[in-house]
Amino acid sequence: MEKQHHIQLLPGDVGETVFLPGDISRAKVIADHFDSAELIAQNRQYNTFTGMYKGIKVSVTSTGIGGAAAAIAIEELIKVGAKNFIRIGTGGAFQTWLPKPCILVITGAVRGDGTTREYFPVEYPAVADFYIVEGMITSAAELNIEVHPGLEWSHDAFYAGSPLSNLDILTIEKPWIDAGVLIASQEASTVLSLSMARKCRGGTILCSSGCHQHPEMNATPEQMEKAISNATKISLETAVKLHKLDHGL
Amino acid sequence: MNIEMQHRQHHINLLPGEAAPTVLIPGDPARVKIFAELMDEAWKVTEKREYITYTGIKDGVKISCTSTGLGCSPTAIGTEELIRIGTKNIIRIGTCGPIQPYLKPGEMIIATGAVRGERTSEEFISIDYPAVADYRIVRALIDACVKLGLTYHLGIIRTHDAYYMESPQAIGDYKTRLQKWIDLNVLALENESSTLFVIAGMQGIRAGTILLSGYPIFDNYGEDKNLNTHIKNLVLAGIEAAKILHEKGLD
Repeated sequence: MEKQHHIQLLPGDVGETVFLPGDISRAKVIADHFDSAELIAQNRQYNTFTGMYKGIKVSVTSTGIGGAAAAIAIEELIKVGAKNFIRIGTGGAFQTWLPKPCILVITGAVRGDGTTREYFPVEYPAVADFYIVEGMITSAAELNIEVHPGLEWSHDAFYAGSPLSNLDILTIEKPWIDAGVLIASQEASTVLSLSMARKCRGGTILCSSGCHQHPEMNATPEQMEKAISNATKISLETAVKLHKLDHGL
Repeated sequence: MNIEMQHRQHHINLLPGEAAPTVLIPGDPARVKIFAELMDEAWKVTEKREYITYTGIKDGVKISCTSTGLGCSPTAIGTEELIRIGTKNIIRIGTCGPIQPYLKPGEMIIATGAVRGERTSEEFISIDYPAVADYRIVRALIDACVKLGLTYHLGIIRTHDAYYMESPQAIGDYKTRLQKWIDLNVLALENESSTLFVIAGMQGIRAGTILLSGYPIFDNYGEDKNLNTHIKNLVLAGIEAAKILHEKGLD
């Protein structure tokens, strides 16, 4: 088999669980949490590290921003043997009661993106794998890290749904805020629905420095670094739980 | 309590306190009586239109059962009014049309999410909002099946409106119509859950669904010959899940 077109990987290059950050530089940050890790491939925004964690082969592939790029990574990763996809990312929180920073375990996503509409009718649910959700919540409790489960609004146009936008974003986002959606980000809809359709497991954990209503009250970069590190630790422990579940251990 | 809550709800005809924190909702009113028979004690609270409510006690836990009738329209009314009297957990217990070939009569399907192939929930919020079951109810239903020794499958289902477009009795080539959902890993068809999940999600209460499988609808085996026993198992799984939620303090 030739290397996959974008991710430049061959079968055997990745573990069953692959972490998917958007940010290229975060692939290295996540890989630094493995017991060992090696850079396997680098093409466009797709950087892949594979290594070991507690005796299990795990990988991280950066996807770049957006559902379009994430879907390419997932399709090609499935072809080289990946089965569980865990996005580790950031977003802008919607609910003022969330702490700053906060870590959110995504249970489902509003399909406000274009990529998944090309794949599936929009009524198809973007729902996280139950065992990833439960694994993250249990792992967070074991690590004594506070997490909040809930929904993400996935959308395509960052500058039409961010405090940096010139638009009246709180009006645009009001239906989601009122419905209790926790956070705005861009990829969960793709990661969750594509994983479900391909009979894989999909999940997402997000960190947010602040909320769209009070962008001036953001957490510090150092606090966000710690939150991302904690989200990575939770994800690694979840990968261990999935390995035990899927291999009858 | 606001003024509105002190009056009987318009359709389900219930006052706060007349239903338990966890309510099982079958579509079929006849199944409420099966629920009542399986409880240690149960009493009929009210009956209006397709909404029959029994409340009872099982192993010391108070649980209620309210039929919603068939379809998302009456389910939305039932869900909305149950939330208004203070219900914390709503578990749909129902039958379905299995579409994956490996599903067998008597097996349980626990929904983690639902395709929103209906229009009722779209009146509440746009179609891209996900119909997701609460993970704590999913866990309670899994544990209930394990405790009762019932085989279960976990996954997504398709809720839709028109039975005679997607069922063994459907008009025309329903197989072709359904193939895309089979390919998309959907386990079964039914008529209520996506509205339940959307309303519960928007209002911050917990909801879930457990469905009894029959023969996959493309096989021509007909009716499950042990349907009555299997329906009893379905209702028992709902009752057991309600007990588990109570034990965990989730009510």
